[in-house]
Amino acid sequence: MTTKAKPRTTTPRITNKRPISISAVVDAVGVLASLSTRGHVYLYDTNRTAGSTGFGTEQLRTKVKAGDTLLWSPLALECEAYVAIDGIEIDPAVAEPVRKVYPGTDVSYWTATVKSLPGEEVPYRIRYRVGTRTEPVTSDQSSFLIG
Amino acid sequence: MPQQLAIIVLVDVGNALEAKSLEDNTYLFDNMKLQGSENEGTGKLVTAINGSYWSDGSQASEQVLNWLPYSLGSLPPTVPRGYEVERARQTDQKALADLEALVNRPAGQGADPSADLAQIQRSVGTRVKSNRRNRGPAAAKILDLTGKVVPADSSAAHSYPAPVITDIYGEAVDEKIIYPAEYGSPDLVTDGWYWSATVDTSRPGTYAYTMKIQLHKLVESGTEALWEPVNLTCESWLRITSEPKRNGFTGAGLGLLPLS
Amino acid sequence: MAVKQKVNIVAVVDVIGALSDGTLGNGNLCLIDDGPYDSRGQGTPQLETVVAPGQTVQWTALAVDLQTPVEIKSITFVGQDDDTSHRGNGAAHRPHESAQQQHPGQRPQSRRSSGSSQGLAQDRDNGDVAHQANGHKETYENLELAVWSGVVPYHLTPGTPLKYRLELQMYEGPRSTLTVESAALVATTPQQ
Repeated sequence: MTTKAKPRTTTPRITNKRPISISAVVDAVGVLASLSTRGHVYLYDTNRTAGSTGFGTEQLRTKVKAGDTLLWSPLALECEAYVAIDGIEIDPAVAEPVRKVYPGTDVSYWTATVKSLPGEEVPYRIRYRVGTRTEPVTSDQSSFLIG
Repeated sequence: MPQQLAIIVLVDVGNALEAKSLEDNTYLFDNMKLQGSENEGTGKLVTAINGSYWSDGSQASEQVLNWLPYSLGSLPPTVPRGYEVERARQTDQKALADLEALVNRPAGQGADPSADLAQIQRSVGTRVKSNRRNRGPAAAKILDLTGKVVPADSSAAHSYPAPVITDIYGEAVDEKIIYPAEYGSPDLVTDGWYWSATVDTSRPGTYAYTMKIQLHKLVESGTEALWEPVNLTCESWLRITSEPKRNGFTGAGLGLLPLS
Repeated sequence: MAVKQKVNIVAVVDVIGALSDGTLGNGNLCLIDDGPYDSRGQGTPQLETVVAPGQTVQWTALAVDLQTPVEIKSITFVGQDDDTSHRGNGAAHRPHESAQQQHPGQRPQSRRSSGSSQGLAQDRDNGDVAHQANGHKETYENLELAVWSGVVPYHLTPGTPLKYRLELQMYEGPRSTLTVESAALVATTPQQ
C-alpha cells in the first residue's frame, strides 16, 4: 500500500503543468468581407521562450512535446463581434482536439493533449465561426505543431 | 460619422512577468488597418488616424480612441464580467451542498469521511485577497485556464487577470494631440473601465505615446494568496493625417442632386 | 412656416449582420430621415423621404456597433426608367472618379491607393470587378472623406417617388459591397 501510494505524488505534476495557450485574434469584419482568413487572423501562443515562431501570422509554429496540453481560443478584434472555433483539422494520431465550454458560460475553447510527434512539423487548420454566418470559414494557411 | 477607433493591447502576461518587460510580450492591434495602420499584431503598431476638415479649415470629424488590454493565454474577455467572483460563489455553494450530503449520510456508509472532506476542500479552491491599495482584481478565487478553481495544494497553472492600463502619457499627450482619460462604462467586455481619448487631427505627424500597464503576479505568503501588482510600460505610435472633405456627388462643393 | 433647409438621411447598418448574411435585408439596414414632411417607411430600407425643391439632402452611413467600418460608396438615382441608361451616362457618382475628374493634377491619394491596390485587386474575385472598370480603386480613405449631399432640383415631378440605388462599403474584399435600390425621394407638392 505505502509503496504503491508513492507515484501519486508525481502524477499531479504532469496534469498541473501550465497548458500552452494558442490564441487566434480574428478580424471578424475582414473575414466576412472576403470570406477568407488571409490577412485577417493573427495567431499567438504562450510558448515563445521555448521556441515557437510565426507570431502574428496564420503560420504559427508552436513548440510542443508529447504530453503537453494545448488550449485554443479565439479573440475578436471588434469586441462586439462573435467569433468561435468550429473545429481543428489535425492528424488524429498527433492530437484530437475537443470543444469545451468555460463552466457556467456558453463561451467555448478547444483543447487537446499531444499524443505523439512525428519527426516533421504537423500542420493543422482551424475552422472559424464568425458573426451570424452559418457556414464556418476555414483558415487559409496551415498552422503547425513542431517538436 | 467615423467609426470608433479601438486599440487592443494583448499581453503575454506570464512571459512579461518572467521577463519583467512588455517588450516582445505585447501585441497591438487596431481597427484602422484599411485607413493605413501599420505593423498590426506586433509590438510596433503605428495607428493611422485620418482626420478631415471643412473648406473653412475647421475639424470635420471627432475621432475617439479606446484602449482595450487583454491577456494572452488567460480566460477570454468574453466570459461574463466578474467571472472569477461568480465562479467563487458557485464552487462555495457546491462545496456546501457536498458537506451537507456528507453530514447527512448514514454512519458506516460510503468511504472514509476524511478523504471526502479533503476532496471537498480541494474543490473549494484557493481564494485570493484583493490588494486594496491598487484597483487590482476583485477578491475572488484563482481559476485555471479552463475556468476551474485551483486547489490550494496544487501548483496548477492559473489564469492571470487581464492587464490594467493605469496611465497614458508621452509625446502625443504633451503635444496635446490626444486627451486621454479613464471612463466608467456599461460595456461588459472591458469590465466597466476603459481608457479613451479624443484626438486633435489638426496637426499631422507621427507621435509616440506610452502606456503604463499593471500586471498581477500571484504570490503566496504563508496560507494567503495575493495578486501583487507589477507596473510595466509599453510604447506605441499614432500617425495623424488630415484631408479636406469633399462632396461625394460633385467631387468638390455642394451642387444640385444629379437626378439623371 | 419656414421650411427646414436640410434633410438628413441616415443609413444605420448592422455591418456584421449584413456581411454574415450577404444582404442589407433581414433587418440589417434601417433608413431614417429627419425631414419636415411625412416620410414613409421610416426605419426600413423602403424609406421614401419627402423633400422640397431647394432643400439640401445629406446621406450618412452609421454602423450599429460603432467599431465596424461602413461608408457610402455611391448613390445613383434610377428614377422611373431603366437604370442601364444611367450607368452609361455616368450617373453613378463615386468620390474617386469625381475627384479625378475635378482635380486632374491632384497627387494620387496617399500610399494605399497606389501601393496596396494591386495586391488587393488580385485578392478579389469577380464580385468587385465592375467597380474597378475605370482602372482606379476607390480607397476606403477616399470614401471617408466624401460628403453625400446635394440640393433638390426644381424640375423634380411632385408626388412620384424617385428611387435611388445606395451602395454601401463595409471593409474591403469581394463581399464588402452591398446595394439596395428600394429607397426614394418624393418631391412635395407646392401647396404642402
